[in-house]
Amino acid sequence: MPAAPKGPVTSHRVAARRAWASLLVTALLSACGSSPDEAAFPSRPIEIVSWATPGGPSDLLARALADAAPEHFGGQRVTVMTRQGGAGAAGMQYLKGRAGDPYVLGVFTASGTVNMATGRIPFAPGDFTPILRIQIDPFLVAVREESPFRTLADLIEAARARPGEVSMSGFGAASAHFLGFQRLRAAAGDPDIRWIAYEGSGDAVVAALGGHTDAAHTNYNIVREHLRAGTMRVLAVALPLTALRDTPTYLDEGYDLTPVHWRGVVGPPGLSPEVRADLRERLLATIRTAGFQEYMARAAMEYAVMDDSDAFGAWIAEEVETSRALLGRLGLLMNE
Amino acid sequence: MTEFGQGLATALQPANLAALLGGSVLGVFAGAVPGLSSTVGLALVLPVTFALEPTPALLMMISIYMAAEYGGSITAIAIGVPGSSPALATTFDGYAMTRRGEAGRAFGISLFASMSGGILGTLLLVAALGPLSRAAIAFGPPEYFGLGVFGLAIVANLVGSDPLKGIISALLGLLAFIVGLDVLTGAPRLTLGTTVLMDGLGLVPMLIGFFAIAEALNGVAGRRENVEGAAGMRGALPAFRALFRLWRPILRGSAIGGVIGAIPGAGATIASIVAWNEERRVSRTPERFGSGEPAGIAAPEAANNACVGAAMIPLLALGIPGSASAAVLLGGLTVQGVAPGPLLMTEQASLVYALYAGFIVAVVFMLGVGRLGIPLWVRVVSLPPRILMPLVVGVSLIGAFVLRGNLADAWFALFFGLAGFLMLRRGYPLAPAVLGLILGPMVETNYRRALALSSGSHTVFLESPIALVLLLLAAASFAAPALRSRLRSGRATG
Repeated sequence: MPAAPKGPVTSHRVAARRAWASLLVTALLSACGSSPDEAAFPSRPIEIVSWATPGGPSDLLARALADAAPEHFGGQRVTVMTRQGGAGAAGMQYLKGRAGDPYVLGVFTASGTVNMATGRIPFAPGDFTPILRIQIDPFLVAVREESPFRTLADLIEAARARPGEVSMSGFGAASAHFLGFQRLRAAAGDPDIRWIAYEGSGDAVVAALGGHTDAAHTNYNIVREHLRAGTMRVLAVALPLTALRDTPTYLDEGYDLTPVHWRGVVGPPGLSPEVRADLRERLLATIRTAGFQEYMARAAMEYAVMDDSDAFGAWIAEEVETSRALLGRLGLLMNE
Repeated sequence: MTEFGQGLATALQPANLAALLGGSVLGVFAGAVPGLSSTVGLALVLPVTFALEPTPALLMMISIYMAAEYGGSITAIAIGVPGSSPALATTFDGYAMTRRGEAGRAFGISLFASMSGGILGTLLLVAALGPLSRAAIAFGPPEYFGLGVFGLAIVANLVGSDPLKGIISALLGLLAFIVGLDVLTGAPRLTLGTTVLMDGLGLVPMLIGFFAIAEALNGVAGRRENVEGAAGMRGALPAFRALFRLWRPILRGSAIGGVIGAIPGAGATIASIVAWNEERRVSRTPERFGSGEPAGIAAPEAANNACVGAAMIPLLALGIPGSASAAVLLGGLTVQGVAPGPLLMTEQASLVYALYAGFIVAVVFMLGVGRLGIPLWVRVVSLPPRILMPLVVGVSLIGAFVLRGNLADAWFALFFGLAGFLMLRRGYPLAPAVLGLILGPMVETNYRRALALSSGSHTVFLESPIALVLLLLAAASFAAPALRSRLRSGRATG
């Protein structure tokens, strides 16, 4: 017989903890009732807008936040609001339209900055209030076990020797994944490696696993199980990961660059510095909860918290600029 | 076998049974409401599963997935609107049977075939999870291209009396799929400079527009054939003996669903249409298909439920979500700390066996929930169209909005409704356009990917045995109706 489920115990404990937390907060609030409007935040449910694919990494981050947040948001319900469409434009428009409203947040990622850079969507970093970056997801190059390439240098050598014959599958065209790959390629002196775009990161890894492409440019969580099973190998990773201790980094391979996918939280435009600081503190507490830490470990994500909101804003702006410069160099800007 | 017994014991624990039952009810509902689908149902319970232990969470999700594939056939049979896209083929014969006043019979066939397909798909999963899983990745760009072309060739059998109109309809579907961002270059195509059209027009708005709104407009215009009133409605379920007589279409449909379902990205909609077409091809009375042939319900319904178990093969063994629903399921697994992949079977065997057993229990619950629902569906069918159709349109439009939380989708549905109405009035069949929208992206992107990988050489499609066979089958399938009629007229004159 499998072990008896320990579910009810844990969930009761969580529920009890939540009930106590909300009771405590209510008591505190009624104790200091001088300026109800300020003391009352949050006095109604919070929304986190998700414009990503349901079940995908960004959507899961939104849901993990919503799950862990209530105890740090006065026991209020935190719900994920799905607003898909227009390469994220529908969700961003919704968030932008709620100017000054601290009850709505959005999960913002590298994909958002790339879509801004291409000109695909009519938004700029200034349309949102940066709050904090939570995680990074370094890019890596993986091959299937049978691949002749043992190192990143092997792959780049092969591409130099046989221009256009080495293929790399990855998520999307003019996407964050694509630009991460292009930065690596540029650093290696522009060898002719063919980028084969797929609808999702999983599809791109399957293409490499099935031998249809020579390598996949993806993230650790997508290939984790194949690495453990020995059906795939990582040639190099952009940043050192604890789980990939023995894998060379791009820097080890002689390329001084660290292209990463990243995800954080932004608010609508026009949040005052005080409101923003308050939201940041609550979110920081949220991502330190045991439940959220468990999600991070299970999803194979690395904490890379940038809790200086201004620095996060500058990072977003810089990402847009870097992406735009690279797209321009590749002739992929839309409005030109 | 002891592992399976333990799995069954786990699945039968009260909390797990409750999760399975809840999932079945929700799944049938999500499947039956146009606009909602197994994907939406799964996405809706994803937050709920956060609070559950892994086993009940996953059992609830697979039971939604399973039941939704059956649920889609309810609306397809009752009102001719596919509740979700895999039920498209079920509308052909299911709704025709309802119009004959035999809704109960159609519901019974669909439920029995869904149950059988669900069980056969699960058996395939149990048998193939270990050894055959790597076969799923043999499908590369040339093979997907072949499969897509094979699917499109079915248009020739869907067109009805005027082949030219059918082909034009398919081309309109292909035109509609082009709208949106090009997967391979990221460039917007036919988006008219707006972000609204960037993610395309979407399959769900098309299904809702064509089958709910266009039909309703047709009714207003007085062209819709009225379903017999309640008095004439024979709600009687078919006898078991009659159902068992359908074992051949059910087996064939399940086999097709099992193979196509295991190929990542192909999906239940393609499987069920291929199954319907195959049944018609082998039938001695192909002309009866589309006018209420029992085998025309049994085969696609067996196929789309067989897909559920089959889609779990690449998901569990390789961590590859083969469909939008499987992608949400993967998200649920991730949150639960269950990492599907080559090691799952060795490291989490007890969970995998609980899933196997859960599938079987889910099928049983689906059967129970489905059976209890049939009298209700029969009564819904006998509502006068002037009440029923506005209701369907309203629910559908809400469904279209809920899918992505995007109001534009409701507008797209209205657009397709108007387009579909005009097409119907001029005698253009709608199903080929849907096929075009579903298969267009598979054909185009894989054609271009294959050429990018082969440096532009077309021989790549002939070098792959799978692709070659599929392309030859496509040619045969496309030519078959013309050859058949040539043969028949030859016989008549000779």
